[in-house]
Amino acid sequence: MSENLVNALDGNTFVVSDRRGDIVASPTDTTGLFSFDTRFLSKWVLTVDGQRLSPLSVNDLQYFETRFFLVPGTGTIYVNATLSVVRQRAVGNGFHEELTILNHDEKPVDLRVRIDAGSDFADIFEIKDAVGKKGKYYRRIDKQKLVLGYERETFRRETTISSSAPTQLDEDGLSFSLKIGPHSSWTTDLAVVTALAGREEEHDKPKYGRAARMARPNMAHSLEKWLEEAPSLVSDWEPLHTTYRRSLVDLAALRFTLPIGRGASLPAAGLPWFMAIFGRDSILTSLQALPFAPELAATTIRALGAWQGTRVDDFRDEDPGRIVHEIRAGETAAFEEQPHSPYYGNADATPLYVVLLDEYERWSGDSVLVRDREPQARAALAWIEEYADLQGNGYISYQRRNEETGLENQCWKDSWDSISYRDGRLPGFPRATCELQGYAYDAKIRGARLARTVWKDPEYADQLERQAADLKRRFNSDFWIEDGQYYALALDGDGSQVDALSSNIGHLLWSGIVDKSKAEAVARHLMGPQLFSGWGVRTLADGEARFNPVGYHTGAVWPFDNAFIAWGLRRYGFKAEAARIAAGILDAADYFSGRLPEAFAGYDRAFTVYPVEYPTACSPQAWSTGTPLLLLRTMLGLEPLGEHLVVEPALPRAIGLLALLNVPGRWGTIDVFGRGGVREEPKTRLRPQLSDGNQ
Amino acid sequence: MADPTSDFFERLGQPGARRLGNVTASIRIDLDRGKATEHWLLAIDKGNISVSRKNTKADAALHTDKEIFDRLARGEASPLASMLRGLVQAEGDTELIVLFQGLFPAPHNPLSRQASADMKSQPA
Repeated sequence: MSENLVNALDGNTFVVSDRRGDIVASPTDTTGLFSFDTRFLSKWVLTVDGQRLSPLSVNDLQYFETRFFLVPGTGTIYVNATLSVVRQRAVGNGFHEELTILNHDEKPVDLRVRIDAGSDFADIFEIKDAVGKKGKYYRRIDKQKLVLGYERETFRRETTISSSAPTQLDEDGLSFSLKIGPHSSWTTDLAVVTALAGREEEHDKPKYGRAARMARPNMAHSLEKWLEEAPSLVSDWEPLHTTYRRSLVDLAALRFTLPIGRGASLPAAGLPWFMAIFGRDSILTSLQALPFAPELAATTIRALGAWQGTRVDDFRDEDPGRIVHEIRAGETAAFEEQPHSPYYGNADATPLYVVLLDEYERWSGDSVLVRDREPQARAALAWIEEYADLQGNGYISYQRRNEETGLENQCWKDSWDSISYRDGRLPGFPRATCELQGYAYDAKIRGARLARTVWKDPEYADQLERQAADLKRRFNSDFWIEDGQYYALALDGDGSQVDALSSNIGHLLWSGIVDKSKAEAVARHLMGPQLFSGWGVRTLADGEARFNPVGYHTGAVWPFDNAFIAWGLRRYGFKAEAARIAAGILDAADYFSGRLPEAFAGYDRAFTVYPVEYPTACSPQAWSTGTPLLLLRTMLGLEPLGEHLVVEPALPRAIGLLALLNVPGRWGTIDVFGRGGVREEPKTRLRPQLSDGNQ
Repeated sequence: MADPTSDFFERLGQPGARRLGNVTASIRIDLDRGKATEHWLLAIDKGNISVSRKNTKADAALHTDKEIFDRLARGEASPLASMLRGLVQAEGDTELIVLFQGLFPAPHNPLSRQASADMKSQPA
């Protein structure tokens, strides 16, 4: 997102404007007021006496609130302003904008103030592709409100605009004829309300009112409370405080408040394309945030459980028991031009759902929710056996049934070229990527634990454990590349190995499917020069035919990927290696002012010195936002064990002290401390930071 | 004449029919038939559904035209797409609404493989 744009967001509603607070959207760009995957304002331009304004400063007050200080006139000439204009905007169910004009002169002033408003009601998918609209637009003035609308059959979306101060409305906006006395000011409250006509989500006013006069409603979701409830960080490494706070604030912003969660929230994927429910993203982010905000996991479990597939539907790639991939509310989903109503085309969220359920129980002790979701967990485990084994070889594989608009790659590396052989060829379908087998193994082991301890079905537990042991044995033979001493990225449609070296092998450590005897070789590859860039593990190893340091899934470094790899390394006892990855990623976070992008370039660290952002990365993005949280967990070595929390710190050497106070869990809250760094290699530093990453 | 809506509810109420998670709650469906409104009430006890024609307050409610519900019951339309298009209105506990939409048969879109769905066993 370019630097002169300003974002403010609240759940799935967000505003992207320029630094004046104006919105002038073209069919292909992403400025505007968005809600439920639809643009509700594509034009929102303020003029005073026919002139646009110039920004003096822009302050983000909250993630949902921005204040713009403006003066009349544009261009480079010095403006001797006797007028100031302040727009303070709070996003939520549309937005509320408090517009204030101050006259600093000794004389009264007559002004014509105008706001031009309009909406193209573009579906967020259409903005990517700039598709023409099939419905019709309408505008009307209704009880002192300007209504902008779009209608296609019974599909209707409306934006309603009103002002607290008297205004002249026309179909293109609002006009004010003002006289402001000397050293006086004028102000109005502008309400922009979005409505999905005929739906429950209709609102008659914005979520937040005037900052100065109105207490923020919905205190349960307030940022203050959110930050207050999270554990406090203590560390002698100063940048970590910035990164930690940034993560918590961004995670708060990315929470998608669902009616289904009864006011609770789950993490949405990120701005601007992924502000919707994503199964995989919600699960992974909830896992990352468990020691900090366990309520996210609870909502994710409830929401994804409710949307679990029940039928075989090829258009949506739905099967019984399958966990949802993506839900959208825009026009293309409504008219089934896109399959997101909902779309189920992923092969990982289903086993990961069981993993989350177990991990949530281990942390929270909330056996009520976990007992209640027994049917969903069983259906998810049954999906692995009955629907996911497309080749009949005992492995999860994927092949879309919706050939037109379905996803080709149904693993987290979902771009078209992400799965390749060493020589660059792309394998046929179905594809069984390795990490899916790890997730399946982990789901069975964890499902067995839940069956034994919570659902009280020891026979089912035995059965799952037998399946898991069998899967692990077969996997370690079928996927292992003896020559290279690593696991194949996938098995292809013929069951042959897709032999590229990739970051996916790190997830295998996390899942525990790796034979102990093979773990050291895997760790050596992960930390070797082909995969480890100095900042983190590349998605695809340098030296593979398709390797490209700015390739989305073919060489870039994904922070979230690294957090799970670090977790995996800890699981197998590679403390120094895990600390080194934590150090590299947290160092990178410092360069991004604490906000890790979705991905950054896989250049060698010694070559670029600073991490190079991937050109079109989403930021903030939920699982990148969760990454520092999971890295804190891995550095401190936090593992719930029965009613206790085991702490086994292994810190990067530049961190002398790391503590988290009030870590919530089944133990109530607990303070955890780590001191002294593990020694990483090598010892030289490029900058006084956590690590340099040279080989 | 066969009534797809009645058939749909009859199937839900049968022993051994699909369960609705572990839920204990109620859902009312109001179907507009021009002059009259037809009501169906699902009383769900730990996932087991029983069906009646009562018009009482429920934890969640759906409102639509009988004609549209017939299409959903026959698997000719997608419940969520219909809601997004404003054809079906929902109120109350959204989790129940989401669970309920999973009870409709697979939409018969060109890609549908309902036949193979029927052959597969239902999830527990």
